[in-house]
Amino acid sequence: MIKIEQEAWQLMVEHAQKTYPNECCGAMLGPIDGDTKTVRVALPLENAYPGAQRERYELRPEDLLFAEREARKNGMDLIGIFHSHPDCDAYFSKTDLENSCPWYSFVVLSIQKGQFHHANSWLPNMEQTEAAKEELEYPNA
Amino acid sequence: MPKILIPTPLRQFAEKKDSVEVDGSTVGEVLAALTAAYPDMKKNLFNDEGKLRSFVNVYVNDEDIRFLEKDKTAVAAADTISIVPSIAGGK
Repeated sequence: MIKIEQEAWQLMVEHAQKTYPNECCGAMLGPIDGDTKTVRVALPLENAYPGAQRERYELRPEDLLFAEREARKNGMDLIGIFHSHPDCDAYFSKTDLENSCPWYSFVVLSIQKGQFHHANSWLPNMEQTEAAKEELEYPNA
Repeated sequence: MPKILIPTPLRQFAEKKDSVEVDGSTVGEVLAALTAAYPDMKKNLFNDEGKLRSFVNVYVNDEDIRFLEKDKTAVAAADTISIVPSIAGGK
């Protein structure tokens, strides 16, 4: 399961609401203990998609390299990636799946009319053909 | 020997190490040595045709090998190699 701590969660929601009506993205860092991943730090990153960002996001690999280095520097792990779905549910779309990576958790925040609505976490399989829903715990928004 | 930083989800295939030093003078040689030492890591990095999976980017220090000489990019003993995924998506 994945648990998101208050400070990190607040930053994720703020980033998603501020970026609305475009999609936001970022990295989640923290310790992993057995099956429990705890997101202690959220790193908002720039959506680098060159086209319509209302419907797409793209992370620069060098930004993820930075996130990975930040995690190591602070004795944490890169747990996953978050992004927002403006005015639609927090599902894992075909585009999300095909452009994901099976190594990480993918938290999707649904932002409806500019406000946080709900979130889900997803774990893509190796072939990127399907994603399983991961148990997600986050503070009350 | 060049050092490869192992992303957290792949450490389970590398005796839980967060970095590994392996022999090799190019990125291709170093990755081959890594997957020879830890065969379970191979399917995470390479597809069935033996090519790097589409979402896998490799950096030598701060440089993306796609903009250098890809798997023929030279590596020196003091170099650090990072494995970073490409990630995108949309609703």
